[in-house]
Amino acid sequence: MIIKSSDQLPGVTLLKRFPVPRNFGVSPSSRIERGKIWPAPAGATRTRKFEIYRYDPESGKNPRIDTYEIDLDTCGPMVLDALIKIKDEIDSTLTFRRSCREGVCGSCSMNIDGTNWLACTRFIADTAEPATIYPLNHLRVVKDLVPDLTHLYAQYALIEPWLKTDQTAPERERLQSPEEAEALNGEDGKGPAACILCFCCTSGCPSHWWNGNRFLGPAVLLQAWRWLADSRDDATGERLDNLEDPFRLYRCHTILNCTRTCPKGLNPGKAIASIKKMIAERRS
Amino acid sequence: MARDDRPLSPDLQIYRPQLTSVLSITHRLTGIALSIGSPLLVCWLIAAAAGPATYATLHGFLASWLGLLLLLGWTFSFFFHLCNGIRHLFWDAGYGFDLQTIYASGWAVVAISIGLTLSAWVISVGMKG
Repeated sequence: MIIKSSDQLPGVTLLKRFPVPRNFGVSPSSRIERGKIWPAPAGATRTRKFEIYRYDPESGKNPRIDTYEIDLDTCGPMVLDALIKIKDEIDSTLTFRRSCREGVCGSCSMNIDGTNWLACTRFIADTAEPATIYPLNHLRVVKDLVPDLTHLYAQYALIEPWLKTDQTAPERERLQSPEEAEALNGEDGKGPAACILCFCCTSGCPSHWWNGNRFLGPAVLLQAWRWLADSRDDATGERLDNLEDPFRLYRCHTILNCTRTCPKGLNPGKAIASIKKMIAERRS
Repeated sequence: MARDDRPLSPDLQIYRPQLTSVLSITHRLTGIALSIGSPLLVCWLIAAAAGPATYATLHGFLASWLGLLLLLGWTFSFFFHLCNGIRHLFWDAGYGFDLQTIYASGWAVVAISIGLTLSAWVISVGMKG
């Protein structure tokens, strides 16, 4: 089936996950064990099971999957509402990041039913029974659904995400023509400047799983493109020199999980191709 | 700095298979199959040059069900890698990055490579008579 936009759910599910053992290639301390089951309150008629990844660094134990049965009649419509309900009413130890609850801040990114999305913009009605909730993939887990993003922020800093210009500072804002601004905002508002750095794409990128220590990943490369495409920036050559590397840029093998999963509907895959093209054109 | 004593969140074990990732890994696997298959092609040529007796031995193997299965896998690998390679060429030139186009071209690669494989076998079995 043809997927037209990233918010479209897969119509047919042949496999919810790749046919590999659950703890395939997983180090002993990362192995996931069975956890506790929290049944629905008596009298609940519409219920939904949530299988949630739990890890408590102070327990000294391995991560586990806890199952929570939620009464949907007393719960808001979004996955984030269910998480907040669990924390408020069932198990206050559940830990997750959240802030804006409207898909603007990028805090509540997590793996929901096998793909990365924002918990605040995914309807519970669109999840599977049971819904599976994991932290973003292939990151060190601080606690429960909170991954350590330090490395990803360091990679973001590496592309020097600020304006570099040779000109003297003007009296007022640096102006752009509507066309120049469109390179950043996109004609549909889905240009690179709309990225909220939730890292759904980077943590869903197999290339970043295997080579994340040196490959920058789609989110950071989309931001790299955001500064290359900026008409006010004068450091294009320097920025390209910084990216032209077998790992930093060219570990992108155009898998395009990034474009499929972006909860803002942006296109990191296309941005990376644009950088590669810019480097090729510079050579000729 | 990330501390290594913390567990690593699961990746391949839980991420949903999608056309994007499945075709990418198939491209790699067919590439590996082609690399292994090309020495076999060389063996076939050597056997043909070595004389009728050697050729008959190799032909006996290739005409067995295992040999035919390998040939079927090799032809599919060839056509899939060819079609998906063309898809990659368009991407390298900067075209076809709409999600809708990514999916349409992906399914087209699947359909065309299966179609070409079947045609090749129908034609070659027909020629054999």
